[in-house]
Amino acid sequence: MDDLYIDNIDEFVYDQNKIVTYKWLSLTLGVHVNQAKQMLYHYLEKKRKECSASQLHATYLVSGKFQQNGNTCHKVTVVREDQLEDTKSKLIVTASIHVYSIQKAALKDSSPLFSTDYDIIKENLDNCSKYSAIRCAIATPRTSEEISRLQSLAHVTTPVSDGQAVTSKPSINGDMSATKPVSQQAKGIVGLFASKTTSKSKETSKEVKTESKENSATAAVADKPVNKTKVPNNFFGKAATSKSKSSAQDEGKLIKEETNSQASLSKEVEKQSSNSVVKPAPDIKEELPKNSEVPPKKTKENKIKTKRLEHSDSENEKSESQKKKRRRIKKPQPESSDEEVIPDSPPSSSAKTSLASPHKEVKKEPANSTENTSNVRRRKKRKVLKSRTSRDEEGCIVTEKVYESESYSESEDDFSKSNKTQPTKSTASVKTVTGKKDDEKKGHKKSPASSNKGSKQASIMGFFQKK
Amino acid sequence: MVTFTQSAYNAREKETAEKISHIKVSNKEMLCHVKPVSCESVIYKRFVSSMTTLTRQDLNFGQVVADILCEFLEVAIHLILYVREVYPTGIFQKRKKYNVPVQMSCHPELNQYIQDTLHCIKPLIEKNDAEKVVVVIMDKEHHPVERFVFEISQPPLLSVSSDALLSHVEQLLRAFILKISVCDAILDNNPPGCTFTMLVHTREAATRNMEKIQVIKDFPWIVADEQEVQMREPRLIPLKTMTSDIVKMQLYVEERAQKMP
Repeated sequence: MDDLYIDNIDEFVYDQNKIVTYKWLSLTLGVHVNQAKQMLYHYLEKKRKECSASQLHATYLVSGKFQQNGNTCHKVTVVREDQLEDTKSKLIVTASIHVYSIQKAALKDSSPLFSTDYDIIKENLDNCSKYSAIRCAIATPRTSEEISRLQSLAHVTTPVSDGQAVTSKPSINGDMSATKPVSQQAKGIVGLFASKTTSKSKETSKEVKTESKENSATAAVADKPVNKTKVPNNFFGKAATSKSKSSAQDEGKLIKEETNSQASLSKEVEKQSSNSVVKPAPDIKEELPKNSEVPPKKTKENKIKTKRLEHSDSENEKSESQKKKRRRIKKPQPESSDEEVIPDSPPSSSAKTSLASPHKEVKKEPANSTENTSNVRRRKKRKVLKSRTSRDEEGCIVTEKVYESESYSESEDDFSKSNKTQPTKSTASVKTVTGKKDDEKKGHKKSPASSNKGSKQASIMGFFQKK
Repeated sequence: MVTFTQSAYNAREKETAEKISHIKVSNKEMLCHVKPVSCESVIYKRFVSSMTTLTRQDLNFGQVVADILCEFLEVAIHLILYVREVYPTGIFQKRKKYNVPVQMSCHPELNQYIQDTLHCIKPLIEKNDAEKVVVVIMDKEHHPVERFVFEISQPPLLSVSSDALLSHVEQLLRAFILKISVCDAILDNNPPGCTFTMLVHTREAATRNMEKIQVIKDFPWIVADEQEVQMREPRLIPLKTMTSDIVKMQLYVEERAQKMP
């Protein structure tokens, strides 16, 4: 390839002060993602040699086998350059490393990386997978007849469940329940998984957790009647169907959705994936990325595993892979004007859906527990992460996130109510604190900050990967 | 006095602005008790030769725009505090706005302060009286080191709000957020121990109305001091401009050439 791209990247990074991710570059220049990765690598090498790269910062995507608490998993993470060696040394086997982004700014967190990709993908919705390395012949967008058929199915079944869309949760936790797509929102994804539940019976010890925004957002496909903004809808509809199907083929995914009765737009989809064995492999035709000049990619000998790893790797790249190991994605609310809490990487013990024990964990408010029952109203207790603001003995304001038991029922009504009570509780606590007169000096500001930091060690600091 | 001509992008060259009325929110440092300030303020009127009359017949529309802008300003202010390290990163938490993650503070007093400020600014925006909203970062001696200036103007044309328009606006606001996130590449580091405050530059005599509608008790507005408005040797760095049917906004940063004492 000619060297014009060097000048292009130069212009993007230095003149326009943009963040150049490989995905963004591939869509902007119209090249395959692997070529974009190589371009970034070459550019970085060149600039480093010239020693004029004092202001250049890069992030890398590292993936490999990782062992934690006796569980091995496939970890895919985006790290800063200074953490690269550290992360590599922690992995048992490094499957792949490549440049994720190059920018002038030293990013404090990973949000701008996501924002960069968000807009460019939104612009190129129709052909966002044109340059991607993920291919699946079976994954094709649904025809409109199929969609209308599924919609009518959903219409029929929704009156049964109290007028609320019921969650369908194909789960991997040993307890398989193949659920029919009942909710309008779930019909797109769940239809995929209805056939996939059989393949989930075989599982390996490896787990892959990939959570892609596109997958979670597939839920929005169904939301057409209620969705006010059309553009985000299209974004989810088109991008998601092709991607979700291709990614679903490979690994079993756990999708959980809840619908909020009030907004009727907000959904939360949690998707976790675990590695399933050989079965899906023949279905997938993947192009193995060309590794020749890229910084060492150690591929596994097992071709199938390689496919899976590469798939999950590139799939995670497609998704909003950030500097955290695992993430929960909330389905975005197009019309929502309130800020929502995006849970940070959940405590590692709770995040994994191990085969042996079905975990019932709810990570953060208003997160859902990964349960595998459906359509049955039951009152259950669960632990919810709530934010409590209080004053400690020194008079400092401490905000803590604590797990609290909360009883809830499976149906939507109660959950939506509990959803609403939680925000009101937090605002109530805010008001009580601000009502107090505070005489403390600035010096004390550090202590609430540090105590906040301490209590949130698992969440915020988690994505600086100081493990 | 600070005049409009400081900003290079200002489209309103025809106006001969002589004086501007500043309104400043008393700087409420974290965890300090707010002292009520006397509301007696001297207002300097700005005399303009030509002023586009802005009629917003549809008050609802004006409110919608004001809501959008205030939400955006809240997110932007939190993000500025995060990126410029005015407060430790521990108090910030990831939240979602415009479908992208942003950093917002969890500290209740800080949040309340920002919300109260914007609550007072909102009526000004509704009537299109607010010209600039400025987030000033000051060093220990209360000299400004950086000013993030949001210049806002609402075009007189009353466009019908549609979904495409709102999602377009959302996209533009996302671009602003992204630009703020990477602004540390082009700005020098701030000295430690900085605080921040907010200024609003208004058109004409909007302050008189402000006193009448003192929206929040115990949260008075005072006229800004010269010291806090003027900056020695400012350098102008543009960040982002957006033009849409409902609002035009520019964001630029004025930073002091010599930041460290």
